[in-house]
Formats: sequence, structure tokens, C-alpha cells
Amino acid sequence: MRLLLLFALLIPAGAQEIYDLLLKNGHVIDPKNNRNGRTDIAISKGRVAKVAQGIPAAHSRRVVDASDYYVTPGLIDIHGHFGSDGVNPDHNSLRSGVTTAVDAGGVTVANFAAFKATVIDHSKTRVLAFMPGAPDSAWIVADVAMKDTIAGLRPGDILTNIYGQNMPSLADARKRGILLDSGQLWFRVAVPALKAGLLPDTISTGMDKKSLLLPRATMTNVMSKFLAMGLTLEQVLERTTAGPAKAIRRPDLGSITVGGAADLAVLELRNGTFAFLDSGHAKLTAGKEVRCVLTVRDGVVVWDSEGLSLTHWRDAGPYSNFK
Amino acid sequence: MRLATILLFAAGAAWTQPRYDMLLKQGHVIDPANRIDGVMDIAVSNGKIARVAANIPVAEARKVIDAKGLYVTPGLIDLHAHVFGYSGSLLPDDSALPAGTTTIVDAGGAGWRTFDEMLERVIRPSKTRVLSLINIVGRGMVGQSFEDNVEDMDSEKTAAKIMERRAHIVGIKTAHFGGYGWTAIDRAIAAGNLAKVPVMVDDKIFVGTGRTSKEKLLSKLRPGDLHTHVFNDRQLEIVDRYSGKVQPYIAEARARGVLFDLGHGGGSFLWPVATKAMGQGFFPDTISTDLHASSILMAESDMPNCISKMLNLGMPLQAAILRSTVSPAKAIARYPELGTLSAGAIADIAVFRLKKGVFAFKDAWQHKHLGEQKLECVLTVRAGEEVFDLEGRGYPEWDKAGNYEVIR
Repeated sequence: MRLLLLFALLIPAGAQEIYDLLLKNGHVIDPKNNRNGRTDIAISKGRVAKVAQGIPAAHSRRVVDASDYYVTPGLIDIHGHFGSDGVNPDHNSLRSGVTTAVDAGGVTVANFAAFKATVIDHSKTRVLAFMPGAPDSAWIVADVAMKDTIAGLRPGDILTNIYGQNMPSLADARKRGILLDSGQLWFRVAVPALKAGLLPDTISTGMDKKSLLLPRATMTNVMSKFLAMGLTLEQVLERTTAGPAKAIRRPDLGSITVGGAADLAVLELRNGTFAFLDSGHAKLTAGKEVRCVLTVRDGVVVWDSEGLSLTHWRDAGPYSNFK
Repeated sequence: MRLATILLFAAGAAWTQPRYDMLLKQGHVIDPANRIDGVMDIAVSNGKIARVAANIPVAEARKVIDAKGLYVTPGLIDLHAHVFGYSGSLLPDDSALPAGTTTIVDAGGAGWRTFDEMLERVIRPSKTRVLSLINIVGRGMVGQSFEDNVEDMDSEKTAAKIMERRAHIVGIKTAHFGGYGWTAIDRAIAAGNLAKVPVMVDDKIFVGTGRTSKEKLLSKLRPGDLHTHVFNDRQLEIVDRYSGKVQPYIAEARARGVLFDLGHGGGSFLWPVATKAMGQGFFPDTISTDLHASSILMAESDMPNCISKMLNLGMPLQAAILRSTVSPAKAIARYPELGTLSAGAIADIAVFRLKKGVFAFKDAWQHKHLGEQKLECVLTVRAGEEVFDLEGRGYPEWDKAGNYEVIR
């Protein structure tokens, strides 16, 4: 009997794991895995270790109470402009829950090494890049107004800035399997287009030096605009997680999957009166706003505006060098 | 009929050509230089402050921005930031302007050898006004081995570069010197004497460097020199770690005119130090961020957050705005050119909301403190141009704007 018990204790299947971080009781929306409800997410060694209800708080070194928030895969922004001629990916992406940001347009064969050294290797954000002409990869094209450009695209290529100033008919492009990405956005174009059913396949910021300031092209700002224009939170998250992961052919990203990289966003949906500007600097007043309160990248909390994962300093014990 | 309308419009435009480009209406203006602390309108014209008065008619401005319920201040001056040279450097515009900061002072990124590169690559292309405290190290803040190399600390060449670039260089920085003795600080001060500019000191006091904070503050620094990172524990025991009292030599140094700069950064703002010092009434002279890649995210050391931290430790808002506008401008001898809303001054303006609630603020060691007020920047004007407008206060609703092109 005693021997049996000893055996039982040694069986690894019953072993319990120590977690580095546990997000408790958040409303998890993970479109790729069809999750939409309250559950816990445990993280260990930078990977998602377990997704289940009732994971004991005592098993994790750090616990975040996510009861008031949505927990989603780290967002993917497939259209930004980074580096010294663009913006800094880290504080402009991670603060908005974006853990993967794709540079769309600045990177060439000639400057890739410099871009890697100064931006990619220098950032906590996972920075990827579209490179014009690279074989076996999707191209992203911003010139929506050009009929010839659209004709030259292949299925799986991406047309961005679809709600730009002079949007042509995109019905054929969609029929041909060309992916439609939001990017620059004018309300006078986007509102009627969405009403007519032209939803984007992916939602991106198009952030650059100018648009980051005015209209404030951050991911949470853009998501808030789409909510205000009638998309559901689920539709918006599909287009900022699983959708873009598929578009850039990175099935390893954009979901909360056991064994996958622990890139997560904790989002708050706030009620109140908010206003958002479009690329033409016209305003849309709305009753909801998406805010990112916490971002996890490869298991590390890199943004935590509410201090959800942090200890109060009076409870933190004596500071090592200051009694 | 249509012709009549057009004529009427044209005539009307001629008669009532707005005098002002922009009017910030009904904000609570805090302009310490002019002792203004109350609801006022601010008119802007040709990039300059045109008028500050109680009731400026909206018809006199092309663009009217409702600032009711918000605070309006001079554009903030961040005396200690990093946008060149240092490995954690940020881009000025995307970090400063959304925070209401219109002037940043790069603290030691460039030295005399590299300053001209900074001028071309960072200062000239930025909307933010970028000034420099030039490093006493000729190559700038590019790593410990360079910063320890006294061979590259040339007072004459540093002073010569300052005198050549007076429009951009406002002082000298010495930082991170790990070697023995006073060479770095002495040469920085010698350059400061030659060029007649202040020195900002971030001195690593390692064991065995032969330096003490007391000697530095009482015998080395001149009146007007700046001691930065005031609330860290590493270089200066501002608060005696056993008695918990602010050191007497700190008050003595302040009486001599040495300035104490916040310089929050990724390692230099600790709650136990700040709480004890501020609790005894020891406020920093200037509020600055030491903003870089490792302080902007978790510690959120941007200007509105640094100010919020000060507010929640007992500094009144007016005193905090003084220390983010007038005081830093004076410290770099740019007052009253900068830091005021005086008529005729460059129209650098920040608009803030003071939010009430429960907010977490984080120190450099990632511990939190809870506070009940938080300052948030909602709008920034730089040289009369609205460069940041979080809530679209200066712009019309899209469905009332017709077939609009980019609205200015």
C-alpha cells in the first residue's frame, strides 16, 4: 500500500508545474482556438503552459487578477513604419498590446542588415518586415488608388489603406483572394464601406512619424474606431490576431496555444465619451474605447499601466540598498 | 443666387478675416512666469502667443479649441532625455509630443566629436525642439569603456563646440565615470567655465573612486550646476539611510545654488527615497524624465507621469508646472525665451486632463505606489501648430465635414 502510494507520487502525469505568471479569470477571446469566455492562462519559461479554469493561484510566482479585463493573443500590426525615419516599435506597439509589428515598406535587400541591427535586434516587440520582391511571401501594397497595382496582385497578397481617400471598387480584388487591410482610414469612406459589408481581413495602424501623432494611429485607437463603426469586439480581435497571422503566414502567432510563445494582451473596454480622428483629421465621437492595461511578450510583462502584476513598494521588503 | 452666395462669402471673408490662427478657449491656464493660475483664453497667431485674456471672441480665430475642464500650460521642457548616442535612445517626436513635451534636452548623448551628426540626424528633422547637454566625453554616451577614458575628455574642444553651436548646446553632461578621482567632473566644469554653461552630473559613486557626494556638492559643483537622479540611492545618499533624514549637506548645496534634477530613468526613482525626501519638503528643482528605452515602458517615466508622481507625493500642481517649464528654462539660460505663455513667445503649449481615481505609479525597481490623481496630455501645440490632439478637440465631426480633404 505504502509502496503504491510512493509510486503514485513519482508518476509525472500527476505532477504539478510551477508557473512564472498566471492571468486569473480574464475574459479570454482567442478567435483561432474558438475561445470566448472566462478562463485562466498559466505561463512558464516564456510559453503558454496551460489554459483552463481554476488554475491555483498558489502555483504561480506572479498572479494577475484579470477579472475586469479581456485577455487576448498579443496583437499583430501588419502595417507600420519603424526606425529612424518612422517610429519606435516598442513604446508605440507594446503599450497598445501589439507584440508583433510588421514594417511595411521601408526594408529592402540593401538595408535589411542595418534594419535588423538597429530595429529588429533592438526591440522587445517582435518586428517583422515586408520586403518588396521577396520570393514565396506575401507582398503588401499601399497604392489602393491604382487599378494596375491591384491587377498585378496575386491571391494572398495584401492591399492596405483600403479606406483611404480615393478607394476604388474592391469587390474583384476580394473575389480573387487578395487580402484587404485597413491601414489609413477616412471615416467618410470607411463608414459607408462597412455598412455595405466591406469588412477588412486585417486591421492595422499604418503608423508612421506623422500618423502616430495625428490622428494617433495606435492599435487600440484603431480598434476603438472599428468598434465605433459597428464591428463587434470579436470581429475586431479576429482581424488583429488570427487574421494577420494568417496573412503573413505565421501560424505560430496570433493565438493562445499551449506550447506557443506567451504573447498576450490584457485589454479594457471602457464606457464613456471618446473621440477619434481619421487620416483626414475628421472626428468620430464614440461611447466605448479599447485600452491596453498589460502586455506580455515571450512570458515577460513589458507593459503594466495599472501595476496589476506589481507589488506595492511598502510590501516589497527593504530595498536592497536602502533600509 | 449661387454667385450671390459666393460674393457674400468672399466679402465676408475679407471683412472678418480672423486675427488669430488658433484660440484655446476656457482652459485653466497655469503660466507661472506670468503668475496666471485660472481660466483664460489663449490666442495664437503666426506661431506665437498673440494674447492671453479672459474673453477672446471665437469669431476672431480660424480654429477654436474647447479646453474647458482642462489645464493649459507652457509646452513642457524635459531637461534630461536620450535621443542620440546612448543605446536606449528614443525618437524625439513620438516620445515627447504625445506627452506635452515640446523641448527636450538630450543629456550627454553626443560629445564634441559627434555633435554635428546629432544635429543632422536628430535635431534638424524633429518637430520637437531638441537641445543638447554635450558630453565631456568626445564620443558621447556610447558605453562604459568610452565613458571611463579620460583621454577623450577635452575641456577646450568641448567648449569650442559649445561656442560654435550655441543655438543647440546649452550645457555639459558628465555621466557614468567609473574611474578613480575627479577628472571627469573637473574637466566638465573647466569646459563649463570656458563656455559659461552649466554642467549636469550623473556620478556613479563606486566604492574606491575617491569621490563623495558631499565633496562634489559642496566643493566641486558651481551655483547653477545640476545634480541629476536626485531620488536614486546609488550616487548620493540624499536621505540618510539610518535616520531617514535629508542630509544636512543637501540643504547647504541648495543654498549654494546647486540644482537638483529628478532624472527619473530606469534606475533612478525609488519610492522609499522620494517619499522620505518629499515628506520632509525636499522637492527637486527640475522635473525630468531620463526617458529611454528602459524607462518609457514599465516605469512610464514620461513628463506627465513624473509630474503625477510628484503630485501624489505632495507637490502642488502649480509647483510641478513651474519645475517643468520656468525652472528648466532658467537652468539652461533659455528663460524667458522658453517656458512661458507670454504674448510674443513661441506658441509651445500643452493641454492636460487631471484625472481623479485610483492609479498605479511605478518606480525604477518596478514597485508600485497608488495615487489618486493622474495627469494625462490631451493636446500639444508646437510653434503654433497643433501636433497632437488625442480627442480631436481642434477638428470637426466627420459627418458634418462634407467631402473633406486633410483638415488643418
